[in-house]
Amino acid sequence: MIIEIRTKEKYAGNEEAGFIGRMAHAGLKVKAARLSRLYRVEGDFSRAEFGRLGADLLTDPITETCSLTRPRAGLKGWRVEVWLKDSVTDVVGESVKGAVADVLGKEPQTVRFGRAYYVACESGLKLRHAVAKTLVNETVNKFGIEKI
Amino acid sequence: MKDLSNFNSLTPKELEAMDRAAGWSLSALELAEAQRQFRRMGRQPARGELETIAQTWSEHCKHKTFSGPVLYRDGKRTKKYKNLFKETIVKATRTLNKKWCLSVFTDNAGIVEFGKSGKWGLAFKAETHNHPCAVEPYGGAETGVGGVIRDILGVGLGAKPVLNTDTFCFGRLDRKYRLPKNALGPERIMRGVVEGVRDYGNRIGIPTAAGGLYFDDGYLLNPLVYVGCAGLIPVDKIEKRVVPGDLIVSIGGRTGRDGIHGATFSSANIDEETTSSAVQIGHAVNEKKALDVLMRARDLGLYNAVTDCGAGGFSSAIGELGSETGARVRLEKALLKDTRIEPWEIWVSESQERMILSVPKAKLKRLAAILDAENCEYCVLGEFPGDGRLLVTHGRESVVDLPMAFLHGGVPNFEKPAVRRAVAINSKAPAAPKDWGKALEALLAHPNVCSRHSVITQYDHEVQGGTVGKPLQGRYGDGPGDAAVIWPQAATLDLADFSGFAVGHGFAPAVGRVDPYQMALHSVDEAVRNLLCAGADVSRTAILDNFCAASPRDPLVMGDLVQAAEGCLAASLAYGAPFISGKDSFYNQSRDADGKEYPIPLSLLISATAPVEDVRRAITINFKEAGNPVYLAGVSLRGLGGSVYNEITDTGNNAVAALGLKAAVKLYAAIARAMRAGCVAAAHDVSQGGLAVTLAEMAFSGGLGARLDLSAAARERGLTAVELLFGESPARLALEVVKGREKEFLGFVKGLPAAEIGHVKEEPELSVSDGGSRLFSADIARLKACWRKELI
Repeated sequence: MIIEIRTKEKYAGNEEAGFIGRMAHAGLKVKAARLSRLYRVEGDFSRAEFGRLGADLLTDPITETCSLTRPRAGLKGWRVEVWLKDSVTDVVGESVKGAVADVLGKEPQTVRFGRAYYVACESGLKLRHAVAKTLVNETVNKFGIEKI
Repeated sequence: MKDLSNFNSLTPKELEAMDRAAGWSLSALELAEAQRQFRRMGRQPARGELETIAQTWSEHCKHKTFSGPVLYRDGKRTKKYKNLFKETIVKATRTLNKKWCLSVFTDNAGIVEFGKSGKWGLAFKAETHNHPCAVEPYGGAETGVGGVIRDILGVGLGAKPVLNTDTFCFGRLDRKYRLPKNALGPERIMRGVVEGVRDYGNRIGIPTAAGGLYFDDGYLLNPLVYVGCAGLIPVDKIEKRVVPGDLIVSIGGRTGRDGIHGATFSSANIDEETTSSAVQIGHAVNEKKALDVLMRARDLGLYNAVTDCGAGGFSSAIGELGSETGARVRLEKALLKDTRIEPWEIWVSESQERMILSVPKAKLKRLAAILDAENCEYCVLGEFPGDGRLLVTHGRESVVDLPMAFLHGGVPNFEKPAVRRAVAINSKAPAAPKDWGKALEALLAHPNVCSRHSVITQYDHEVQGGTVGKPLQGRYGDGPGDAAVIWPQAATLDLADFSGFAVGHGFAPAVGRVDPYQMALHSVDEAVRNLLCAGADVSRTAILDNFCAASPRDPLVMGDLVQAAEGCLAASLAYGAPFISGKDSFYNQSRDADGKEYPIPLSLLISATAPVEDVRRAITINFKEAGNPVYLAGVSLRGLGGSVYNEITDTGNNAVAALGLKAAVKLYAAIARAMRAGCVAAAHDVSQGGLAVTLAEMAFSGGLGARLDLSAAARERGLTAVELLFGESPARLALEVVKGREKEFLGFVKGLPAAEIGHVKEEPELSVSDGGSRLFSADIARLKACWRKELI
């Protein structure tokens, strides 16, 4: 199950501007962007339990929203998903794993942390280039880009 | 890798191929010596034994270059060193023989006395994590910070960390480069490194409050990441001794396949084949758990010795602790992250956040109770038997069975040639700029001068509540601090004792391109001046040396190193500032996509610390009050060599001002007395960008202007106004003296080069003239806007 956490639109201006700035540095003009945090939680939990983890553990309800399905992008363009490779230690994932056990009383098999970027820009090819140049280090990260 | 069953009969070529395949970075001489040892023992080696030898003899662990023999040539003159490190750095400390040095060059960090009570020592250490950061900046920086914190935890019986420092060198962000396939751009590296330092330091709860940033093309493919840590230790916990019969206990993180070959990786040039297998991601929370356990167990006397698992992992840490007693290790007892791991990999894995303790059997139960209470994992790996033999097994498999004497005394070394680099010096008078004000604006906006707020504000520099001298200072909390001043009450728990310490740095690689000897002098001088500007007692300065260089196989690189080391010796003796610890990193050299070599310039970071008797009287850089007189202390000398001004306007003048050591020491002692008497309201050293930048920073940090006339400033005959304003000759400070205390101040500096150059003004304008000629007049808000650039 992937739990996706996103900053509410009215609070997201700074992180989106920072992202757009970084892409501009890599030569990509981004018209609009939305950013999410992703937690891939694998374990024998019910949907309600996943929902509780998302809402109670991983989300700040004042500034963020949580979703167990992919949220509406709110823009036309591409979705970039970035994860650490499975062989790389995921410190955030490990910490969340311990917290999940504390909240639900059952330890998940694994938790991995990642990020999603929803990007409206001129070209997927240019986006791939910019992502490789700024957001990921292919020796430790894996990433995928899909049209939305 | 090739079968080891015929290792003893391999030819030198075959040995070399095996070394390359295994990633050991051993030289032909070292491979031959290992082969001789196993022939003597009458058997073939196990993989674990060769891995142990490679790690123990690595540049990272043995520092073979700096502590080896060198033949130095300067024209017809030659000089032989048996051990360059001992004959320069260590010699300075031994000669000075300061009683307040409690532990030097023998442990994971140097320790000096701290405070008035006589109960505390201050441990200080800095090291580099360059190669890992070039490959994976975030993980490399995190594990660098984690490693140096563990050095402080592993000094004596453990010190409590109270300050992290960081100094980085990157390629220029404002230039386009064509990079090799696997290389990361400088902006990418910088962002990753800053985030790594931020995440580790902030999560573990140690303030990151001192350091610097430096940009130069030479660091394009080989960034330098210096990380430091200071901590407090009770003086009765400095001695440690492994007792035969003690248990070997590993606490903290688990062991995995991550970080294999980190130590040997440090002895190799980075190329396209380099992968991130030698780099890991740190886990600050695990280290915090180990920290909390250690502080409690230390005070209860539950272990006899401790050291950190750094480069080389168990192999290095257990080998080091058991160098006299020997060690019996059962690797099947290790807690593992991953079961798909070979026994030799468990032995050399550099998985992070692990500490090794030497624990008396009778105290294990009490220690285990604390470990459990702190939720910190541990395992008992074996014992220190006292027979001087290293025996490592995994079940019935023998992994290592070697005499410690061979491991630690068997490394062969050979004399390295060193040659003085010939540099043509041009000292012609530089032309005056068309517009002095515009030149100052360009200097303030230069990446080596401009504001570091976009980096500094990412770090928690307030955690522990003892950061008195902050990295950003002044009326608006955004001016550049010279040195951090720390009040370590979180460690001493004594709120009535206001003893503190300051930490400052000196770094001048651009000077080193012209004159490595003067670079060392300038760097020590800058570090000492930074401490002085914070109000520290510089007569008790202790310093760390961190050398980074390109390949030592190049005699010119070695020549630079020899000169800089000699400079360190001279400066240390003159300032009475002993070296208490240090580290070196070589092979910082790579090739770009066009085949162009990028050797880094010789880079010497001097980190200095000195006591601040009462932190409430620490001094900051910003102008405080209109009407206060401004003084320039020190003599301005000719030469623009190594200056930032030369980067924005190539004057052709590359002469480096020679530092007068004796005069500087005398001047600083007088200024320190004036500061103690309360005559000085603000102080700022003249360094990158020169005097004009120093004055501008004091003005806009205080939100006050100044009207200044430099005609009274002490200067070398023939000095031009360009050199006076934008030259970076050392041993100069700008001081704001308290109105009404001038006479007293002048009494302290009588007969010394300290001249009044004007007054602080309420009007927000900085105007500077030199006698009859008006140089510039600028609005301080405009100057600040130029300086306050967003680096990332």
